[in-house]
Amino acid sequence: MQYYLMLAALLFVIGLFGVITRRNTIGILMSLELMFNAANINLVAFNRYISGDGLTGQIFAIFIIVVAAAEATIGLAIVLLIYRNWRGIDTDSYSVMKW
Amino acid sequence: MEFQLPEINLQLMAPEIFLFLWALAVMAFDVTTKRKSSSTAGNLALVGLAVTGVIMVFTDQGRGFGNMFFNDSMAVFFKVIFLAAAFMAIGSSFGLTHTRILNHRGEYFGLILLSTVGMMFLASSSELISLYIGLELTTIPLFVLAAFFKDDRKSVEAGIKYLVVGAFSSALLLYGLSFIYGLTGTTDIAQIRSILAHSAVAGFNPAYQESTPIMVMAVLAILGGIGFKLALPPFHQWVPDVYEGAPTPITAFLSVGSKAAGLVAFAKIMIMGLYDLYDPSKAPNDWGILVGVMAAAAMIVGNVLAIRQTNIKRMLAYSSIAHAGYVMVGMLALNSLGLASVGYYMFAYLFTNMGAFAIVALIEDRTGSCEIASYAGLSKTSPFLAISMTIFLLSLTGIPPLAGFFGKFYVFAAAIKMAETGSGLTWIYWLVGVGLVTSVFALYYYANVMRTMYFVETDSPLKVTMSPMAVAVIVIGVVGVVVFGLNPQPIVQFASDMPAALGALLP
Amino acid sequence: MEDLFLTIVTFFPLLGAVVLLFVPANQHSTIKGTSLIVAFVTMLFSFWIYNRFDPVASGMQFEVNLPWVQSLGIDYHLGIDGISLLLIVLTTVLTVLCVIAAWHSVTEGVKGFFISMLLLTTGMIGVFVSLDLFLFYVFWEVMLVPMYFLIGVWGGPRRVYAAIKFVLFTMFGSLLMLVALLYVYFEYQAFAGEYTFDLLKIMNMPLAYHPQLWLFGAFALAFAIKVPLFPFHTWLPDAHVQAPTVGSVILAGVLLKMGTYGFLRICMPLFPDATIAYMPYICILAIIAIIYGALVSMVQRDVKSLVAFSSVSHMGFVMLGMFSLNLQGVEGAVLQMINHGISTGALFLIVGMIYERRHTRMIEDFGGLAKVMPVFATFFMIVTLSSIGLPFTNGFVGEFLILLGAFKANTWYGVLASSGVILAACYMLWMYQRVVYGKVTNPKNQNLKDLSARERLVLIPLVVLIFWIGIYPSPFLNRIEPAAKQVLSHVGKASTVQLNESYEIVDVPVLGASSDDAEAALAELEGAGR
Repeated sequence: MQYYLMLAALLFVIGLFGVITRRNTIGILMSLELMFNAANINLVAFNRYISGDGLTGQIFAIFIIVVAAAEATIGLAIVLLIYRNWRGIDTDSYSVMKW
Repeated sequence: MEFQLPEINLQLMAPEIFLFLWALAVMAFDVTTKRKSSSTAGNLALVGLAVTGVIMVFTDQGRGFGNMFFNDSMAVFFKVIFLAAAFMAIGSSFGLTHTRILNHRGEYFGLILLSTVGMMFLASSSELISLYIGLELTTIPLFVLAAFFKDDRKSVEAGIKYLVVGAFSSALLLYGLSFIYGLTGTTDIAQIRSILAHSAVAGFNPAYQESTPIMVMAVLAILGGIGFKLALPPFHQWVPDVYEGAPTPITAFLSVGSKAAGLVAFAKIMIMGLYDLYDPSKAPNDWGILVGVMAAAAMIVGNVLAIRQTNIKRMLAYSSIAHAGYVMVGMLALNSLGLASVGYYMFAYLFTNMGAFAIVALIEDRTGSCEIASYAGLSKTSPFLAISMTIFLLSLTGIPPLAGFFGKFYVFAAAIKMAETGSGLTWIYWLVGVGLVTSVFALYYYANVMRTMYFVETDSPLKVTMSPMAVAVIVIGVVGVVVFGLNPQPIVQFASDMPAALGALLP
Repeated sequence: MEDLFLTIVTFFPLLGAVVLLFVPANQHSTIKGTSLIVAFVTMLFSFWIYNRFDPVASGMQFEVNLPWVQSLGIDYHLGIDGISLLLIVLTTVLTVLCVIAAWHSVTEGVKGFFISMLLLTTGMIGVFVSLDLFLFYVFWEVMLVPMYFLIGVWGGPRRVYAAIKFVLFTMFGSLLMLVALLYVYFEYQAFAGEYTFDLLKIMNMPLAYHPQLWLFGAFALAFAIKVPLFPFHTWLPDAHVQAPTVGSVILAGVLLKMGTYGFLRICMPLFPDATIAYMPYICILAIIAIIYGALVSMVQRDVKSLVAFSSVSHMGFVMLGMFSLNLQGVEGAVLQMINHGISTGALFLIVGMIYERRHTRMIEDFGGLAKVMPVFATFFMIVTLSSIGLPFTNGFVGEFLILLGAFKANTWYGVLASSGVILAACYMLWMYQRVVYGKVTNPKNQNLKDLSARERLVLIPLVVLIFWIGIYPSPFLNRIEPAAKQVLSHVGKASTVQLNESYEIVDVPVLGASSDDAEAALAELEGAGR
């Protein structure tokens, strides 16, 4: 089971790293998906090894997949808007507000 | 394996189901009528919210869907807040649907309603899966709404920033929750709590006694996830940009509804689920002091950075960070006052902030500007708006006898009571101290807006034409702030069951 | 019916303010008339209360106690004793005079001005009648807002700075007070098993020594900022100089008294041990305030800031009297609160009157006004003398009692404080001389009009009060005495510090009766000084 958890942790860290360092918005969205999937792997692995009874973890994972898909859809839609407004989707190009 | 069908109690969910269908109906209506009327969809949405409220009155409390859905006094309290926030947000949107949103009014109002459904669902969840679904149903429509001005760069930028941050925080939260599930073997929050309470070592599954670091990581990830939603430092940077860029009524809805939803999620997971980890003796698992530090940072960062803002939406954004800090001070008190004070605070904040943003929206519609400087001379041209705004700002500052004051008072009362109960909890006094000192900063920047409205002379004072609906929202806000400030008893009474409902056990 | 008295007198001005909201902003005379009527009726109510007040009885009178926020033990609890009674009357009288004084001087934003005035009155009276700590705090804060606008909208050139400084200082203090208040609240719950903010109940709770020190400190800081006690006085000159005349009168006349009133009503009865522990420090600060205020006054070139700094000095006397912790001192302090309200209020009014004529307040711009404006000079003379504390004016009685108390507490306090009296004579008389006597050096002063009937109407009641209290103070002292005894008996309950002789409650010879030795003592004092 450790292997599953380590795989998940690895995916999570890659995703985290990607979100922070990526300049391309699509890349950020992809990294976010990796993070979601890390949680999914965790849930499924725990479901298999710990709670013998039911399918809770797997059901949770399926819900997450659905929600993540919805989120990605909206994300891509907004990316399209960004492209229309700025002709580019790098994060550097579209920051008009500064704090 | 014998499969037992859980008891499904649809009647409990009636308000949510109705509002969901109504949201779809609003969108459909707008499409079928060829998007002609600028206000019908909005009026329909308001009617829907009102009807939902009425249905809620007749809905019993209890459990449904095999413990996934739990309608208790806390859920009802926060649902009222959500409905009222949506109502006021929609009410102050009519200016926008006249001028800027010409093509997708149905979607605009429908998405607000859908987000409200998500919040209500979240408030009733007693289980991690339904909690997560509720949270996502809340935020996903808000991503769209934040980016609703498709040709306005600021709005689009707000949308993408909110989306990235929202998804990122969800991922963090999920990762943490997955460990909680792994350590306890259940997603039912009440069960999580009893398992953590009865395990031998510091509340862990006996099979995983060595897993303390994992627990720490899980708590950190969850706090990070919720910290983003609540905009507690160091997870607050997105707030000013999103608040500034999003359409003003949506900003208002974000600052009240979405924040209350985040608080509910926090209360469910941390207080209801991980209650037993809030204990100085269980360091490093103790999440209390961690949240305390975040709350203190929120009060300091929010109030200090708000001082130098020139844009009123950004100022209110920073002030909302600070207010999240104050609320968390109350949240940290696990006694009979704690959650009730949070409830009251959010109730007061609802009227205050929605009212203030309604005025901001009105003036933005008129001048296209959210700069504080453009409020100069408002007291001469529109005394009604100036006085209302003053009342809201005073309430945000916490000047009695307005509701904001009583909220702050209540929160600090709860915190001091908590600090007196435990020996390891004296740091809460410091937290209260930080809250008080930063309140003085808050006074400074709120007073600055009043100064601009009353004291600054201007050659071209702005003239504001007011739509009746916006006036109604502002009047509701003023009346709420004044009446519930002068007579807090009904709300206090209403909120007083919540700590028990959450299982906060201290006296 | 008796229950309603205090509620009426507190909220009648508020009612007036609400009515004013619906008067169109351009109908100036209606607005002014309405506020005058409201203020006048409020004053009549307060006189009625004064009349029905039983001077002999100790304890609170006209009490009302209704639940407000039941689940938190917050009550609507009002009641007055002799101290609050006099302060309420002072407030209502000054409000009427201020409305008259503002008749012509306010030209812009008339509606807002009078609404603020009336709100302020409600806040001030509310502070003096509340017996519930929460209610007290609410009124205490409420009054900040109208004052902020009074200074900020109708003030002088640096009004915004002054307004914000005033509010920030006060707010900082009051927030500390809020925490202390909550702490006391939960302590009382642990002690008696009941949640309450009721001052009278909490007074009976014994507190440990160290918490007392902290709590006293928190409350005292809030009150000391308001008084203002040296070194928390820095907001005062700014606020006074920038505020409009009426704002200054209310500020000096009533607002500062709320600080000293807070000490008497809350700090001393609630934290007797801490009171005694802090006594020497507060007395020293008070003496510093007396001397520092006087010295700084002496070098002021602006009449208004001179009066403002003299307030610091006078309030130092009040603090010293209170913290002498004997009956003479406390009685003198309370009387001096009233006196200061009357004389300093009158001084600010007078400064306002010449400012309206000349639009300057610099001492060097004046000179020889006695020839041009004889009536004005007479009024100015009387008020100046009262501020110095000449016998037969009110200032004398108060300062004399305070010094008596101070000598009893510690000879050095008395000696040092007496020097303040002398310094007061120096700076006030010097200022008076430069403004009123001499030749008319500035041609602009040649054609000044003397006081109008309206202005005389404003000053006459104050002058009457100055002489009344100066010559026949017994009615006032009689009413103060039971209340002062009550306060001291609470301080007497201190457990940790042994009372030495000087803290004992001694029956004071009421001055009206035995003014012979009083005058003898004062003559001695003044003789020593000159």
